[in-house]
Amino acid sequence: MYGNGMTGAPASRISDFLVPKASFFRWLDSLRESFSVVGPVAEEDRTVFREIASADELHMEYASTMLSPGKVYLYSPREDLFRISFGKDLTIEEPPRSPVQRIIAGIHACDTHAVFYLDRTFLGAFRDPLYENRRSNTMLIALNCSAASRNCFCSSMGAGPFLKAEKGYDMLLTDLEDAYLVEIRTERCRVLFNADATQSADAEVFRRKEEKERSALRTFTKTINTDGLDRALRENPEHPVWGRTADERCLSCANCVMVCPTCFCHDVVDELSMDMKTVRRYREWDACQDARFAEVHGGNFRARRTARLRQFVTHKLDQTHQYGVFGTVGCGRCITWCPTGIDLTEMAKAIQTRKA
Amino acid sequence: MTRPRLGFFKFSCCAGCEFQTFYFQKHPAETLAAFEIVFAKMVLRGGAPEGPFDLALVEGTITEAWQADELKKIRKSSALLFAIGACAVNGGIPALKALAPELEVEGKVYKNLSPIHSIRPHPVDAYIQVDGYIRGCPPGERDLHEALTSVLAQKKPGFLRCAVCVECKLKGNICILTAYGMPCMGPVTNAGCDALCPTCKRPCYSCFGLMKQANAPALAKKFRSLGLSESDIRRKFTLFDADAALFSKADKLNED
Ligand code: SF4
Ligand code: SF4
Ligand code: SF4
Ligand code: SF4
Repeated sequence: MYGNGMTGAPASRISDFLVPKASFFRWLDSLRESFSVVGPVAEEDRTVFREIASADELHMEYASTMLSPGKVYLYSPREDLFRISFGKDLTIEEPPRSPVQRIIAGIHACDTHAVFYLDRTFLGAFRDPLYENRRSNTMLIALNCSAASRNCFCSSMGAGPFLKAEKGYDMLLTDLEDAYLVEIRTERCRVLFNADATQSADAEVFRRKEEKERSALRTFTKTINTDGLDRALRENPEHPVWGRTADERCLSCANCVMVCPTCFCHDVVDELSMDMKTVRRYREWDACQDARFAEVHGGNFRARRTARLRQFVTHKLDQTHQYGVFGTVGCGRCITWCPTGIDLTEMAKAIQTRKA
Repeated sequence: MTRPRLGFFKFSCCAGCEFQTFYFQKHPAETLAAFEIVFAKMVLRGGAPEGPFDLALVEGTITEAWQADELKKIRKSSALLFAIGACAVNGGIPALKALAPELEVEGKVYKNLSPIHSIRPHPVDAYIQVDGYIRGCPPGERDLHEALTSVLAQKKPGFLRCAVCVECKLKGNICILTAYGMPCMGPVTNAGCDALCPTCKRPCYSCFGLMKQANAPALAKKFRSLGLSESDIRRKFTLFDADAALFSKADKLNED
């Protein structure tokens, strides 16, 4: 499903280069003239994705960020949809589509897969015009991970640490110490790429890439067994691990949902002006951990905390019938940023081993 | 179109909510234009406290018997009555006195107790039915605007009910609880402030009160693991919510 014609025609030929880092960053810097370049930047002791004023700001050896670049820059936490005015006639005014051309540099493999997941939602049966506009105006420069963070389990989900997909993004980087292996995936990126001192990548470079992948794979401490996982979860809605975790640890704070790069739910809010002449309609990320989420007239489908926690975890580990893939990319954010450290891989293990 | 008749009433509190409504929020002039102000001491001399009102906004904790009588009268003369602010909604700061015996608290403040007729503090819904809760100390922009425009549009207000964490994440703040071990009350506190304190790297102290779906014992356990003492934890949960945490609503705070 990824691709969606959103990232230009597939490359007529695959172009692979070995590029000294200094030269790569000079090239990236030169793009700032016509693009808003977003990348990982160290702020205090954390890394966040934000627009850079110079490639010197980039911190490419970063561990997982709290929010994924795709969810912030392609989806957007909150945005205006339209404004209704009640005058003599009723008028509906949409905000102009953003003309910004953007590059997201250094997006990890799991987060690139998470973008593919958002594509399934926003460029599937219904094409969301706001997302579509940003997706087609954004080039993704993906980065293979050299080492896993404590809660990463992307290797179990086939979403990392190295990116195997060949479509749906523009360029792939592999860190080879003083140089990057640059693999160009789209024609629009090939046209743009003019870094100096590049050599075409030979078999030896790809051998080094494989070695890097093997050493990255050795750094994983967290795994999940996906074999029959969806079925195991579906068959155990009343397993004690749900109630126990919900009662003893889950705060219903929704941090898990907010940081999850594949969580796509939003609420649509109307803000009426005091003179009752205009309505601003906007959307913002919503969360199934908020009791209000599944409330309808006369009742609530998930009034219990247990049901809400189970909703999140099963959407990630069971609901494969939605898009034919698991809802998790194994980034580990929901574990890292849960105030009580609730770990969906542990819950899955408890169910798979039928431990109470 | 006739403008809804508005009454604003104050019980035990700092009057910050009335100040917020008529002076400090983003739309004070529009508010004054949209409503007919029938009684509100900060904007109108005299006025008609007897009403009738289309909307009564009530701030403050009920801490004296006469206030309860007054409150019941306001309820009878108002089509809609909203509690506004932490004091009226949760008990707020004045309800701190619920943590000690009445006589002991009075003795700490007054020498001569004979003119003091103080009673146990309660939020207004301990005495009357309330149609809406505008939380906060003082109320946040979003819920206040939603309350006032909903009355104008004659619809049910959609107040925020999620945790402060949701607003905190929408702003992209690095979580100070998880990243730095600061005892933030955000995970159990009702949203509405746009995560004011965590955005300034200060732990939330729950001035919007516990959200209904809060799992207070689970956060208390987390605070214990951060090394907070039992009395520190108790203070955190009772600063704005003493009455709710201790008495009337304890059953509602822990679902399931
Ligand atoms: S972040 Fe953790 S505590 Fe908060 S709702 Fe999610 S699982 Fe529950
Ligand atoms: S469910 Fe957790 S590990 Fe999976 S993608 Fe979402 S945040 Fe990452
Ligand atoms: S800083 Fe506080 S309010 Fe913000 S996400 Fe963390 S716990 Fe929640
Ligand atoms: S963060 Fe907490 S204490 Fe600060 S304004 Fe919001 S609710 Fe009040």
